[in-house]
Amino acid sequence: MIETIPASRCPRCEMIVAPPAPYCPHHPVAMIPTTLPGAGVIVSFTTLHSPPEGFKSPLHIALIELERGARFVCHGAQTETRGLKLGATVAIEALDNVYYFSHLGALDRARLFWHRAGHAGDRVNAIARSLAKRAWKGMTRGGS
Amino acid sequence: MRDVWIAGAGMTRIGKRSERLQALMTEASLAALAVAGIEKPDAVVIATMNPEEFVGDGNFASNVATYMGFAEVPALRIETATSSGAAALYAGFAEVAAGLHRTVLVVGGEKMTHLSTPRVSEIIGRSIDAYERSYGATMPALAGLITRALMARHGVGLREISQVAVKNHAHAARNPYAHFREPVTIEAVMESRVVADPLRLLHCCPISDGAAAVVLTSERAAVRIAGIGQGTDTLAVRHRHELTSFRATQAAARAAFQMAGLGPERVDFAELHDAFAPFELIALEDIGLVPPGKSGGATLDGETAIDGRLPINPSGGLKARGHPLAATGIAQVVECVWQLLGRAEDRQVSGRVALAHSIGGLATNNWVTLLEAQ
Repeated sequence: MIETIPASRCPRCEMIVAPPAPYCPHHPVAMIPTTLPGAGVIVSFTTLHSPPEGFKSPLHIALIELERGARFVCHGAQTETRGLKLGATVAIEALDNVYYFSHLGALDRARLFWHRAGHAGDRVNAIARSLAKRAWKGMTRGGS
Repeated sequence: MRDVWIAGAGMTRIGKRSERLQALMTEASLAALAVAGIEKPDAVVIATMNPEEFVGDGNFASNVATYMGFAEVPALRIETATSSGAAALYAGFAEVAAGLHRTVLVVGGEKMTHLSTPRVSEIIGRSIDAYERSYGATMPALAGLITRALMARHGVGLREISQVAVKNHAHAARNPYAHFREPVTIEAVMESRVVADPLRLLHCCPISDGAAAVVLTSERAAVRIAGIGQGTDTLAVRHRHELTSFRATQAAARAAFQMAGLGPERVDFAELHDAFAPFELIALEDIGLVPPGKSGGATLDGETAIDGRLPINPSGGLKARGHPLAATGIAQVVECVWQLLGRAEDRQVSGRVALAHSIGGLATNNWVTLLEAQ
């Protein structure tokens, strides 16, 4: 299952941050709430063998690049960093409000594809609708 | 703007110290004032990062000024996390350059070794973004993320990174003020315990106590502050799009070089912020001391060793001289002044222009200072 991750967008520079922040780090402008699908590519990761108090060892911490350039910090499941490469596509899952990345299953890939197609589909629909409207207006104007 | 000169420099031996923080800061201050031939400065600027947490004292400018007999001298405290010392130097520089004071004592210090390592890490880690901290991010953890990204780049592997530590330990072996006086082999560095994979224990600086001080003056002295620049970046590492270079260092270097009216090719030697060994490689390229992608090779070839073309961290750096947080930015400048005056004894390098580079937090508030011998 692909999570939906709450984020925010700067109306000035279009930067997206997750989790959402009240103000853009680069502009004194209130950010607009948005969401991102919980899948992305690994920018980097590390494993701590003596993590801070309250965390189990080994502790995996990863930096993931989500859609539209937003970067996100999350944990990795206990055994999953072996053989992991930078640039690998991963899914992000939430467990008790804590985010973890995991390898992207075939079903997740299909969902992600349809999610993206969904965005594109909406856009195609909107363009078609506006074209139809324009054509209709043109006809009515021509008729009068 | 008036010219600002360094009339005196002094520091304590860095390492595990039993004295109180106030006593360490006084020791460094009195040493710097004695060299300057000044009993009482017109103003004092103090740098400490977390005195409330580390030693349980607040109102620290008044606390230290009173301790050392300067109760009537205007004193203020400056804090920009681990670069607080360099920031205090900037404040003192600004006071003299603006003509507000003729002589200013700038002193930084930290006392941490009496606390457990997890406690010290947690206190230092408070300078990290709260969300990233809630996922267990500490300074070594974020440095581990940066190191892995750096190693994915051509020309930087574990050997290049480890050589930085080997070199800086070798330098510190010649420095009586250093925390570590023992050289280390590249095998020992590469086989040391993993702290934040791929970062190992001997890639990381120690927890140190110590203090350092300089006396700034508007009257001509042997070393001039030619340029000083600040650079900043987002608190959260995830809000940046570049992991293997620091915008804050690049901006600080640009500002310092512009003020000094000279370029990186004029720098004869430098003290760089190597809290983690790979950060020295990043700083070399961010400041423009070596071309992009060449820092690893230059280090392996010995170009940055004490007898190389461009000696980097002749003191041993944060890695081996030690890193008493707010003292560090000033300790770097003290080392540069001693080198420029030919007083660095066994570790003497030659040169007229020196550069000091200090990182605050995870490169959120950085400083570059250029010093010129007259």
